[in-house]
Amino acid sequence: MRTLYLALKYLAVLLWSAFVIFPFLWMISTSFKTANAVTGGAKWLPWLQFEPSLSGWQSLFGGVGGINILKPYANSAIVTLSGSAIALVLGTLAAYGLSRFTFKAGPLKNGDITFFFISQRIMPPIVLAIPFFLMLRFLGLLDTLPGLILIYVAMLMPIAVWVMVDFFNSVPRGLDEMAWMDGCTPVTTFLRVILPNALPGLVVAAMFCLIFGWNDFFFAFTMTFTEVQLLPVSIVALNSSVTPWWSLSAAAIVSVAPLAVLAFVVERFLSRGGLAGAVR
Amino acid sequence: MAEIILENLAHAYAPGAPYALKPLHMTWRNGGTYALLGPSGCGKSTMLNIISGLLCPSEGRVLFDGQDVTALDTGKRNIAQVFQVPVIYKSMTVGENLGFPLVCRGASPQKIKARVETVAERLGLTQWLKRPANALTADMKQLVSLGRGLVREDVAAILLDEPLTVIDPQLKFDLRRILKEINEEFRVTMVLVTHDQTEALTFAEEIVVMNHGEVVQMGSPTELFERPATEHVGWFIGSPAMNFLPAVRDSDRIVVPGTALSVTVPAALPDGELKIGFRPEHATLAPSGGDLEGTVGRIWFEGMDEVVGIDQGAHRVKVRVSGTSPARMGATVAVSVPGDRLCVFVDGKRLPSD
Repeated sequence: MRTLYLALKYLAVLLWSAFVIFPFLWMISTSFKTANAVTGGAKWLPWLQFEPSLSGWQSLFGGVGGINILKPYANSAIVTLSGSAIALVLGTLAAYGLSRFTFKAGPLKNGDITFFFISQRIMPPIVLAIPFFLMLRFLGLLDTLPGLILIYVAMLMPIAVWVMVDFFNSVPRGLDEMAWMDGCTPVTTFLRVILPNALPGLVVAAMFCLIFGWNDFFFAFTMTFTEVQLLPVSIVALNSSVTPWWSLSAAAIVSVAPLAVLAFVVERFLSRGGLAGAVR
Repeated sequence: MAEIILENLAHAYAPGAPYALKPLHMTWRNGGTYALLGPSGCGKSTMLNIISGLLCPSEGRVLFDGQDVTALDTGKRNIAQVFQVPVIYKSMTVGENLGFPLVCRGASPQKIKARVETVAERLGLTQWLKRPANALTADMKQLVSLGRGLVREDVAAILLDEPLTVIDPQLKFDLRRILKEINEEFRVTMVLVTHDQTEALTFAEEIVVMNHGEVVQMGSPTELFERPATEHVGWFIGSPAMNFLPAVRDSDRIVVPGTALSVTVPAALPDGELKIGFRPEHATLAPSGGDLEGTVGRIWFEGMDEVVGIDQGAHRVKVRVSGTSPARMGATVAVSVPGDRLCVFVDGKRLPSD
């Protein structure tokens, strides 16, 4: 009975893994194919069924008819990392304040302020495109990295506040009071006592921010012209009248890789005993 | 370690709102053990929060060793508190938890290590020092909380806010003993907030009974037991509660109608509803005679003793008898109470017996 259960469990996991891994395998094999190999029916095994070619990969690094992916890659990394970092710092501080202190702005109280943050994400991004465009133009930051960073901070901070308010609310207030009695100042209470307890929340918020920042196409496309290009936009630039599946697959692998690594690391981090216990 | 004076202290949560803590004045001796006893919502926690500085009183001052700390931040008061629900720093080990108050105060690592080891040894936590604090059981977490107070040699007071509520009964007994021993050993002023009279009576040298935001009586366990200031104290302290019988004035005596219970009218007798009260422990049973007669309506056990509930008219009188009493259900018995054990209450307040 027990072995049967185990066998079924592993079977289910195997099936699911195959389901998840298959698109990746497809992507990897396609990235080494040429036009004929892609269109000429299902072919799986390199050298036996098709002759592998590096042309897809070459087109990512300045090959014929391709792009140079390094610059957009670096741009995307800079914008995503700094946007997320600023959003996390500001968002975490705002969330701690909203969770612990009472604010009043006219008839608005803490809950309303929190909702105001989240409400920024209720509208579809296209609604924000024109105001953002005008604001960046006013600041002279269109088509620049700082301009994009500003926009990502605006888009990511609500996520950070939303996730962190919840996590801070789950950290008992008695912990703050005890830290005060032990001689902490409000700042050391936050940094040394409350933040370590909300670390899993911080990791979750960081995940959300990084994934959104890295994947965003819409703002990267509308707020830039020629000077600055982010990864998703440059990948789209690969496209032509004959879809180059091989280059697109190679580009997809390259752009998914950091997120896959991130997911793997975070999964390890969150499932480690001590931290798992900290999430109640 | 400090003497704590609450000077004309009072608190209302909003201007014009009714007092959550009515004006009071009291002094807590350095190294003494005190208990704040009262039902939920009676102002105990408000008082504790004012002492620890989590709450600023709307009136009056708090003095530690003569120094006004009313406006001082919690962190600067050097107070320790053990909360009702165990609170520990989950991200630290037991040792780091114990040392944290010293780390916050910038003590040297050698000093911290020495103090942590001393305190851990005393509390029996030595083998746990390197373990994550989160892995401890509730009662050990409370010990760690207590240890964070003891680790500071100069801690002004340790406040215990119903620390035993979530602890298993057997461990509760152990923890209470440890608290008492710690107090005797370290001579730290300790204030225990509780709604459990047994806890208060066994722990504290002096008990502050509170009700509706007011200090009803402050005194030693014996005083509270023998001379309750109000009907509430008589009812709240002691198990079973004090007996109260409505009384009337009959020329120069106050008597309970239908019984021989009576007290001489004192020089000044204010107007109001009269009651005569006595402790079930002070009454004795007799087959006949005595001060009042009634039928046995109920018998139950309190430890080694038996409590006999006797119906007299519309009232039930409880008598505590050690061992097994000869009383049988439905039998008519007589109760006698020594005259000096009778207390007279006027509108719920005890008349001073001169």
